[in-house]
Amino acid sequence: MNLTSLVFLIFCIMALGIYFIVPKKFQWFILLISSVIFLFWNNLSVSTVIQALLVLLASYIFGILIDKYHDNTIKSKIFLIIGISIILGQLICLKYTNLFSVTINHILKLLHIDFQLGLSYFNSLVGISYYSLIMISYLVDIYRGACKSQKNILKCALFMSYFPILTSGPFIRYNDIEKDLYGKHKFNYDSMCRGLVRTIWGVFKVLVISQRLGMFVDTVYGDLATYTGFYTIVAALFFPLQLYTNFSGSIDIIMGISEIIGIHLPENFTAPFFSKTLTEFWRNWHITLGAWLRDYIFYPLLKSNAMQNLTKKTKKIFGKKASKKISLYLSMLIMWTIIGAWHGGAYTFIIGSGLLQFLIMVLEDTLEPLSNKINNKLGIKKEVFSYKLYQIIRTYLLFAFTMIFFRASSVGNAVEIIKNMFVWNPWVLLDNTSIYTAGLDIHDFRVLIISLTTLFAVDKLSRTGSVREKLFKQNIIFRWGMLYILIFAIVILGCYGVGYDPAAFIYRQF
Amino acid sequence: MKNFIKSIVFIIIFLIIFCCVFKVLWLGKTYVSFLIYDEPKNSSDIVYIGSSAVYTYFNPVLAYDLYGFTTCFCATGSQPFNAIKYLLKETQKYQNPELYIIDLATSIEDWDFFDEGAIRRTTDSMKFSKNRIDAINEILKYKGIDKKDYINYYFSFLRYHDIWRDITKENFTKNEYSYKGFILSPESSKNIYIDEFNWKDDIMEISAEKKQILMELIEYIKVNNLNVLFTIPIRDTNKADNAQLNYVTKILRENGFNVINFNTLEDFSVNYATDFYNTSHVNIYGATKYTLYLSKYLNDHYDLPNHNGDEAYNSWENEYVRFKQDFKALTKKDFNKILTKYSN
Repeated sequence: MNLTSLVFLIFCIMALGIYFIVPKKFQWFILLISSVIFLFWNNLSVSTVIQALLVLLASYIFGILIDKYHDNTIKSKIFLIIGISIILGQLICLKYTNLFSVTINHILKLLHIDFQLGLSYFNSLVGISYYSLIMISYLVDIYRGACKSQKNILKCALFMSYFPILTSGPFIRYNDIEKDLYGKHKFNYDSMCRGLVRTIWGVFKVLVISQRLGMFVDTVYGDLATYTGFYTIVAALFFPLQLYTNFSGSIDIIMGISEIIGIHLPENFTAPFFSKTLTEFWRNWHITLGAWLRDYIFYPLLKSNAMQNLTKKTKKIFGKKASKKISLYLSMLIMWTIIGAWHGGAYTFIIGSGLLQFLIMVLEDTLEPLSNKINNKLGIKKEVFSYKLYQIIRTYLLFAFTMIFFRASSVGNAVEIIKNMFVWNPWVLLDNTSIYTAGLDIHDFRVLIISLTTLFAVDKLSRTGSVREKLFKQNIIFRWGMLYILIFAIVILGCYGVGYDPAAFIYRQF
Repeated sequence: MKNFIKSIVFIIIFLIIFCCVFKVLWLGKTYVSFLIYDEPKNSSDIVYIGSSAVYTYFNPVLAYDLYGFTTCFCATGSQPFNAIKYLLKETQKYQNPELYIIDLATSIEDWDFFDEGAIRRTTDSMKFSKNRIDAINEILKYKGIDKKDYINYYFSFLRYHDIWRDITKENFTKNEYSYKGFILSPESSKNIYIDEFNWKDDIMEISAEKKQILMELIEYIKVNNLNVLFTIPIRDTNKADNAQLNYVTKILRENGFNVINFNTLEDFSVNYATDFYNTSHVNIYGATKYTLYLSKYLNDHYDLPNHNGDEAYNSWENEYVRFKQDFKALTKKDFNKILTKYSN
């Protein structure tokens, strides 16, 4: 069920309508039923039911056991490990078996061994990567004493499957959402208005901008023989914007819907394209994933005995500062590999959204003193607008480069795209016709210029406070006028209906 | 309560803007003469349902001038034949005619013939109602369209919202019918030479699917006790189509219906050298002959009122005057002289 489809709209209206009609003590149960319907929409089979039940039962049973034996560190640790192993095991089986097979097949081929492992295609549930990590954090939080286990299995099921977040997140923590999720909510007109505005803004991002950019990107990447040079460069520059508007737009829809029913979810983006370094970028992009990995992988890893021992051993050879960096970079390497792998069971994801991000961040960190030195010597002012703009553009270009791998169908395809960029054909941007042959006409480009300018203006404003709150402080005529403009921009300019594929969420597959 | 009223006002304003926007954002009345909503309620003596063979063949303002009865078109280019049952139902909501005329031109066509444009011309012309949804379901079921795509037909804006990029001044001007829906255009005033049709008496059974559609239509007409005349327009048809139309005629006559097949009428003469603008349609001269014949037939065989002189029907007289002026401007000929020539 697509977040921008009419089916989802009807589904939400029904779910939200019933939610506010039923006695308040049953509200959470309506959310559970809605979530189950959403989870198994077009995907109901014995295999998918088993998948969901396995994660639910592992989380529920081991959550209670960890809680029960909280005073017994060894027992609770064993239960934690078993619980995580079950959840992680099914995730790996369903998503990474092929990556394993492909790797083995490559090695066998290199060794000239005439044997190949077959590829398997499992029908995994929507949001499997999200709910698996959410339930792992649930078990860890109980183990750490940050929260109590949920004794009602149905409520536990709701936490696992809360429908708006299944497609694109954000990652929720049990402690943060428990009250809202199971609480009693009265219909609130202001919450509804605020939620709707956010939802509409999200739909605008997805249907007007992301889908439109996607038409260009898909056309170019789908025919690299025809579209070379500057076509490929423009497509590579468009893709991060497509990804951002798709992902953050769907998050806006999710957060808007949740806000209507009084559930407050953590923010996942804060204008990432205004970041001056890639490190800062990732603090503003998919924030909840970063926080999850930081709290449940990076810090535990950095503080682990193995890393401490490594620091001690390397200290004697490289000195104190360098030894700390080695442990830090190694932990980062592991974390970024996991981030890459989480995005998908393919090397393109591991390289694009993992290893390259790690590499650039390490370079940013290690080259910073040198960069400062050069700047000082050349007398380059770092506080002026032009330097900040340069940093923002540099960060965007670096991210766009990494995303070539993320978007490519294979590593070989990514290399082909990069090679393609070096074909010299700048006239395609200047002859006033060529650029309009790649899926978008002049009208589409005009729409993109206006809508992207609006998007960046809103993003920029959002760094100094909520744009929505600023809008709600205005007079009704201005407020409604803006809303009508936004709604009709979606209705008229949105890429939906006949001739367009239904808005497929790029992040949905994760 | 204040918030509730605010929400309602917001929605009403939205709907008003929405309707205005989508009056502009659609393809217009191209190859469509659908007047059952435009004519005053229950004012039509005849409703003529069918494809382009309705609005390019029969001139309702000429028929009115001659005999005083009013004919309302419910016609769309390449109209799917299984839509007719629903168009009859739709017509019954707005008009209460003495007689329905149903054009059989598309009764034998295969589903490939009815492209998206043909389907949309019919379904988009209908007002939003359960009947329209039923019509869409029926047409698309036979066409074999995926059920998930039905929604694009229920809500036309899903199709037309994207034509903003091709918008012209014409989209903003009121799109009204001239001459009560009859088409007079530079194209329809031209002529091509075609060979005389070789209409045979062969009979070929139509497919079970087409027969089912025809029988359902017959049943609907009988159940609703409607007075219906069927027409087959004169046009170049191949041997198989010809034989299938004979079969359709046979079934209809067996069921007690009157069918006029203009291809086989001995007292209806067209000039193959001057009366067609393409192989499927008569030109303005052929249409005049067609109208003269059919309107006389209707006057002779049905008890139709004569509204000539009635002020309430002034628009019909005005449209006829306009038609004659436009005819002269287009052909440099006097329509009255043409009429006199053909009447003799």
